[in-house]
Formats: sequence, structure tokens, C-alpha cells
Amino acid sequence: MDFKFYKLLLLGGAVRLYFSGTSLASLIGNRVEFATPLNSFKRVQEGVFLLQQGIDPYRGDLVHETPLLLKALSGILLNYAQLLPILYILLDLCTGSLLYFLSRRFVEQKLQEQRLERKDYAKDTEELQYSADDNCNISELVLLAYLFNPLTIMSCIGLTSTVLSNLLLAMYLYAMIRRQLLVCLALLAFETVRSLYPVVLIAPLLLLFARHSVSRGIGILMLFATCCLAVVGANFLVMNSWNFLDGTLGFIFYFRDLQPNIGLFWYFFTEMFEHFRTMFLITFQLNATVLYLVPLSIKLRKEPLLLATVLVALMAVFRAYPSLGDVGFYLALLPLWRRCWKFMAHGFVVFTFFLITLSMMGALWHLWIYAGSANANFYFGATLAFCTGQIFLITDLLFAHVKREFCLYNGQKIMIDGEEARILLE
Amino acid sequence: MGLLSDPSLSTHNKLVDNLAKHVRKVCYAFYTAGVVWFLCLALPEFNHGTYLSENALSPGLVYPEIRIDANRLAVQLLEELQRERKDHQSTTPHAWILAKFNEFGLETHTHNYSLRYPFGGGKEFHGKNIYGILRAPRIGSTEGIVFSAPYRAPSSVHVEISPSVPLLLAFADFARRKNYWAKDLIFLVTEQEQLGMQAWLEAYHDGDKTPDSSNSYLLSGNLPARAGSLQAALNIEVQDLEIDYVDVKIEGLNGKLPNLDMFNLVQRIMAREGVTSGYKQTPRKKRRSSLSNFEQNLRQMLAMLATQSSGVPNGNHGLFHRYRIDALTISAAKRVTNSNVKSNPTSSAVPLLKAIEGIARSLNNLLERFHQSFFFYVIVHNDRYISIGDYMPALVALVACSFIKAYLTWSTLDASAIVLSQETIALKPDTKSLKLSLPYGSVLIYLAVVLLIGYLANVLPLQHYILELPLNAAPLTATILIALSLIGFVLPFVVILPDGGLELLHISLLLIYGCTLIVIGLLNFSLGFFVGVLTVPMVVALNTSTRNSTLRSLARVWTLLLNPLVVIYIIVLVMSFHQFPELTMQQLLLRAATAAMDAAAFALVDSVIYGNWLYFAICTIFLPIWIICWTLALARRRGNEIHQPKLKTN
Repeated sequence: MDFKFYKLLLLGGAVRLYFSGTSLASLIGNRVEFATPLNSFKRVQEGVFLLQQGIDPYRGDLVHETPLLLKALSGILLNYAQLLPILYILLDLCTGSLLYFLSRRFVEQKLQEQRLERKDYAKDTEELQYSADDNCNISELVLLAYLFNPLTIMSCIGLTSTVLSNLLLAMYLYAMIRRQLLVCLALLAFETVRSLYPVVLIAPLLLLFARHSVSRGIGILMLFATCCLAVVGANFLVMNSWNFLDGTLGFIFYFRDLQPNIGLFWYFFTEMFEHFRTMFLITFQLNATVLYLVPLSIKLRKEPLLLATVLVALMAVFRAYPSLGDVGFYLALLPLWRRCWKFMAHGFVVFTFFLITLSMMGALWHLWIYAGSANANFYFGATLAFCTGQIFLITDLLFAHVKREFCLYNGQKIMIDGEEARILLE
Repeated sequence: MGLLSDPSLSTHNKLVDNLAKHVRKVCYAFYTAGVVWFLCLALPEFNHGTYLSENALSPGLVYPEIRIDANRLAVQLLEELQRERKDHQSTTPHAWILAKFNEFGLETHTHNYSLRYPFGGGKEFHGKNIYGILRAPRIGSTEGIVFSAPYRAPSSVHVEISPSVPLLLAFADFARRKNYWAKDLIFLVTEQEQLGMQAWLEAYHDGDKTPDSSNSYLLSGNLPARAGSLQAALNIEVQDLEIDYVDVKIEGLNGKLPNLDMFNLVQRIMAREGVTSGYKQTPRKKRRSSLSNFEQNLRQMLAMLATQSSGVPNGNHGLFHRYRIDALTISAAKRVTNSNVKSNPTSSAVPLLKAIEGIARSLNNLLERFHQSFFFYVIVHNDRYISIGDYMPALVALVACSFIKAYLTWSTLDASAIVLSQETIALKPDTKSLKLSLPYGSVLIYLAVVLLIGYLANVLPLQHYILELPLNAAPLTATILIALSLIGFVLPFVVILPDGGLELLHISLLLIYGCTLIVIGLLNFSLGFFVGVLTVPMVVALNTSTRNSTLRSLARVWTLLLNPLVVIYIIVLVMSFHQFPELTMQQLLLRAATAAMDAAAFALVDSVIYGNWLYFAICTIFLPIWIICWTLALARRRGNEIHQPKLKTN
């Protein structure tokens, strides 16, 4: 089993290494689906160059990486530029293995939980319960889904900084399942200062560590705020100016770059009348952050990891500059909910949606930008369909979870007067 | 409706189950709907009249100023050119054209290019284009319009179009005297058909880049002078100064079309000057036909799709499209001498010259690139068109077949597996993880191998070691293609997928097929639609679990007939039958074989030099899809394999 883990890891690394040597790498680095203004490698290069020339990179509108990471990357880029793809590959493999260990741990916890609750379960629900085999099955699936998903491979070889975000998120999730509050908070603060939206991931932490006491919750929040301030302070010390705050968080919040991407923001904000901008900015950002936070937290209060998964997925759909690398990350978390799959009705439809829309995006982008015959509406149509597919997937997962919970206690076949009952949602 | 929030516990839907029993009927219904919708588009109720969207063009706002002296000049130049042509049987009289451009006061330059032909031991061909720029007095050379005329040497096999150059020169002389030009005018004379135009365009746009000479075949060099970003181009092919009608050609590289406004503009101005002109215009005698309106429209549509689907431009204008320059060709046919029509040689070309002036002045008014009107359309009649929103449903209905079948096959996979397992081995209701236990890995590897075969067909013919073989271009390409399809033919006999692999392969085929069809349809509607009409019934008919042996062998024959190479051969055969009806069957078959081989080689050269992706699509997409279809039509399973050896040993 461990042998298989290393084999998969090596194979995943080999695939990435092979593709990063081909011409595909530079192509992906320029594709808007993968490289957004926030995470593209070109912008990092630009920032490194500006730093080297002694110019504040955040005074312009090109660089949106945090100063700490920019400094670190500039150290590598200036001295060992040819090793950078290998570094990214290694980081991606780290993410993969973290997810692997995370899922093993998760299944163990689930098994323990089940042992306690077994007597309440209905009879014919073995297939809904986690079994001992799942320990390797599920973690293997997670690893496969992360390492061999074309989306993550592409975003890795395109050297997008989504690789770093994914690593931080994976570390956060792993620390969460190991119940290490401080590590979680530090990682989360770091990622929040980088890309704003992960701030919502404080909710699963609160559920996990402070379910029964408000004062602890407030304490965690205070601690989180302190962590964030510390990260910001560290960044300030690196740059010695506050410009970076507007260059990173401000850039995300105010959505200054209208470059097309797979999200929903760009088309709307190009088409909109300028004097409504503030209102819609707030609406869209609320939608991406707190709108779903409270209802989901209430519904999923017993499953912090599922809450985290769903929040990460919603973030990937609704954030201002989403990239396909984000999508690949949350897709890799889906095998954790393997026992809900039985109730997921739209899996195939969503897969087909993804396939069609992703292949259409390429064609329509070509027609719009190179051939000049199609226009923005065509491309937006494809991205809108892609987002719809993702929302189908998330809703499906949530409903499957609810149904599984229900069936676990009430049995899979509910008979009323000898006939199979229909369950209604009211 | 509860699509997202369906509370029922079972994912099994009765509707899906019932539909799954009638997959084929549903699919054929969609197929018929798509085809019928397409046919309906020929009815006047379903298409629209053309109109000009771009107000800046305002055709016919000014009176043409070109006078009879321009015609006199054209006639005189034509006489001079005819004298020159006697000395230049197979070359272009560059010196004469250059002298004339200079004489008219244009900024004249020559452009040299060379072609390293990939086959035949790396022969090199050289060519020379001549162009003159008329700098706009009102702007600093930021935008330009191209007027081009191809020159054909007397030894050329194509129709003679030498009067185009005098006509272009006469118009250039007229244009130089005017001061209202807001865009630079480029007058371009190209040689060697599309090659010269391609080289000139490449040099114009990428000339200052240092070419990667190791793997480029057309070395286009650089241009000494440019005229800003090109807004539009008009290619002029005139057979004689006395013209019968004008045929407007629009189909470009890879099926791209110029903006509909450009076509409308030309039509309007031609009509105003009293020149008979139209899309796919034919001589007057043939035009009087007894066909109904519907039938005429349908023929026109099909003719357009046929030209478009090959992706080969039908004139020099087609190469402009890939640089986002809207261009078309006005090809004027010679008037067949007719005693009824008294023509006056001194003023015969005046209407055409006036039309060119009108087009030039309208284009001169453009404030931005053509963008208002449609880029995706099918012309039904000279003044009627179908837009993308109207014709796309036909293709979508075809593509929907494959997705519907994929969905229904997938959702009934469990059920059919239970039936199978009940029939064959002991009852084993292991349904819970059936979809997870399918052999995904081996199917993926199979798909990768099949794709690799297709990719090889794309890459192999241009490798050095293959090119060194003592074979001509056509047999070489054809041999490689045939060899690779034979490998694909044999593959399913050698490799047999594990249990459930065929079903999974079937579903992945349907998904891949649907996606490719929709992408190809977006890029080149005609190609996508024709391929869809031809192959969708076969893909729908494929069924891996039929027991009926006659049906099975029928499906196999059908699949074999639809092999890309066989299809190409049949198309060429039909075309040569129409062209040479006097040949016997045997001669015809042989001639079609050589013609098909030539076609393959030409497609390859086209893809290398002009960037036509038809060859790529056939090799790297259609061939692999065919191999998968063939695997499914054979439907060889492991179980059968175990039975057969046993019989033999007995």
C-alpha cells in the first residue's frame, strides 16, 4: 500500500516533469483559464524584476503576489531559475501526499465515530458506512484525483501560483484534521492575506474547536485576527511600505482587472454601468464570501471537513479571479465523500458538462481573440455553463450528504403499507 | 421542478429507464430533427434578407468619379501587357509592372520569397511579389486597404486572368489623383497563386521576426515598407475587360468567412453600377432553370458548405482571414461573344472600375474594423442569409444524439450488467461499486494508444528519415496513412479489453465524438455538419451487446465504409466520375486512387504551408475515433476468447 503510494507519487511527478518540458507549458502559462492576473507566472517574473531594479512592484497594476512570497520566489528565480519547475512539481506532490494523509486520518476518525454510533444505524446501510478497506481505497482515490487530474497537472506545469494556494489549503485541511488550532490559524491567515476568500474557512475551525462556548469562539477569532495582522506586519517589514495591501487584497476586492477568466465577475463588470459598480462589487463579494457561510455552517455543523470542502468549492466558483487549478483542488476532495456517491445523481451530467465546456472554451477563445469572428458573449456562455456545472456538483454533494444521513438512521427502503415510500422535501 | 433538489433516495429514474429502452429511436428522432431543420432553412420563412449594419460604409453616397479615360488606360495597358507576355511564357513581367507602378507615382517595392518544398529532396522555389503603396494624404499610415491581383503566366493551367493587372493599374492611376484617402492603399500583384499571397501576408505581419529556418517551409522574408494595420482587402480576378458577370467568392482558409457587411457592400455597389453579380454566380443561360425556389436555395447552401468544408480558400482573399482582415474576391467572367449584345470596347470596363471605386471609397469610410455584422452565416441567395443562431440548432441536434446515448448507456449500466451476470455466471449482485470497478485504467491506455496512432499520421510524413525514402509525396503520404489505419484495423484483434471495458469505451467514444463534433462545428460549421450527417447514424447504431449476428456484421460493414480514407476515396471517386464520365470502371477506380493519394499529399502540404487543419483533423481526430468505432463494432470480449481455444483443443 505504501509502495503504491510512492509509485503513484513518482508517476505523478514524472507526468508533470514530462509536460513541463514540452511546449505545452508556455501555452498553459498564457491561457486565461489557468493563469489569472492573480496567479500567473509572468506577473511574478515582472515583480521579481521590479524588485531587483529597486522599484516598488505594488505601485503599478501588474504584481499581486504578497511581498513575502515574492521575495522568496525572487531568491529562487534569480539564482536557480531552471529549478523552478521542479520546485513547483515538488510542491504539488506535497499537496498530493498531504491530501493522501488527510484522507487516511479522516477515514480513521469516521470509523471511530461509526463504532460509537453503530447501534443507531438502520440495518441495510452497510454500503453507506465507511469500512476498513476505505482506509486505503479512499486515500488512493484522493491521491489519484489530485495527481492525475489534467486541471492540476496543467496548472502545475503552467507555474501558476495556484500550486502554492493549493499547498497552503491542503496544509490547512491536514492541520485541521490533526486538530492543531494554531497551525491552522497561521496557515489560514497567510492564505487569507494572499487571496482574501479563504477567510471563510474560519467557520469550520470555529465549529471544530468552539462548538459549545462562545468565549472560545471569540478567542479564536481574536487569535486569527492577530495572525492576520502578524502576516501583514511581516509583509510590511519586507517591503517597508503599505502599498502591497492595495496591490493584493485591494486588487481582489475592487476587481480592477477585467481580463476574462472562467469566473462570473469579468463579463458582468464590463457590461455594467459604471455608477452601479460599488453596489454590484459588494453584492458579488458577499456572494463569494459570507452569503452561503451561515446556512452551510448551521447545516453542516457536525461535519467541519465537508463544510470546508464545500466552502473551498464555492470559493473556486464565485471568487473574483478563479482558475482551473482551484477547480482541480476541490475535485480531489470529493472522494472523501465516497459513501455519499450513491445518492449523487448528476455525476455523469456534470462530467459531460465539464468536458463540453472546457473543449468549447478553447475553440471559442480562438475564435474570439485570434480569428476575430466570435466575441465575448460566446466565451462567456461557455464559462457560464462551466460554473453552472460546478454548482450542480456542489448542490449534488450537499443533497447526497443529507440523504445519506437520513438513510443511515432510517434505512434505505422505507415501506409504508407495503409500498416504497416517496420522500418529499418540505 | 426539483432538478437540483430532488428528494427521492434512489437515483434510478423511471423516465430514464423507459427512455433507455428506446435509445436509438430517441437518437434517430433527434437526427431527423436536425436534418429537417437544416432543410427548412432553405425556405424563405426561415432565412433573412441581408442588410448593412455598418453605417460608416454608406455605399453609394458619392457619385463615382472614374471616367472613360481610366478605361482607355486599362485597354492600352492590357495591350502592352499582352506584348510582354509573349516574352514571358512562364515568368512574370516584373520589370514592366514595376515600371508602371513607378510611372503612376506609387511607392513601389518588390518582395522576394522562397519555398522549401518538403518532398522531393528539398527543392527550392523562388517567387517575387510587387506592390505599390499610395500613402493617404490625411493620416500617418496607420491603416491600410489592399487591392490585389494575382498574375498568371501564359503557361499556367488555370484560366487566364491577365486583364486584372491592367485594371488594378488603371484604378491605381485614378486613386493617386484623389486627395480624400484616409487609409493607405496597397496595390499588390502576386504570382504563383496562393503561395505568393501567403508569403506576402506572412512577411507583412511577421517579417521582422527572425524565422526559425529549421522547420519552416515557406521563407517569406521581410517587407521594405508597410502601411499600418490592414482593414480590408479586395482581390480582383478578371478574365476580360468585357465582362459577363461577377462571381463573389468569400470562403477562406479553414472555412472562415469575411464579415457579411463586406459581402453586402460589394453586392450593393455592383447592383448600382449595373454589373450582374452574385454569390456562386453562373452564366446567364444556366441561370434560367426550372428549379423551385426552395430547391435553388438548398443547392446554393449545399454548394457553399461543400466549398467551405474542405477549408481550402477558393481565392487569394481566403488567406487574409487568418490575420483578421476581411477580404473577398470579385471574379469577373469573360463575355462570350454574342451578336445580340453590342459592346463598346472603349467603355466596357467602366462599370467594373466604377464598382471598384465605390467599394474603395466605402472601405475608406470605415472607422473601425468590420465588426457589426455576422461572421458566421450561410448564404442562401444573393440577398438572403442564415445566421449562426439559426443554423447551429441543426448541428446541436446531431451532437445531442451522442450525448443522450452516452447518458442513457451510463445510467443503465448497472441494470444491463445485472442481466448479463445473471445469464452468464452465478448470480452475483455486486452492483454497488460496479461503476467504480470498471477498468478505467486500461480504457485510458487504449485511448492513448489510439490517439498516438493518429498523431503519428500527422507527424511521420514530415520526418527526415521518411522523407529520404525514394518515393514521391503522394504515394509516401498515402502509404503511411494506409499503414496506420491497418494498424488501427488490426488493433482490436490483438488487444482485448477486460470485462466492462467495451461499455466504458463506448461511453467515452460517445463523449469524445460529441465534443469533437461541436468544436469542429464551431470552428468550421460545414465540416462539422457534414461529418455529423455522415457518421451520427453509425455511431448511434453501434451496440456492443447485440446478439443478432446479421445486425452485427451490418454494423461492421458500415463502420468499414466510414473509415476516413475510404470516405475520401469515395468522394474523389464520385467527383472523378462526374468529371470524366467517359472512362471505364477500372480506369475510373485507378484514376480516383491516384487522385485520392494526391489529395492526401496536398492536404498535408496545405497544413504545413498555409495552416489548413483539415489534414490534422482527419489524422489526429477522425482516424482515432474510427479505430474506436471499429473496436466497438467488432466487440470482442475476453469471454469469447476463452471459449474459442477450448474448442480448438477439443
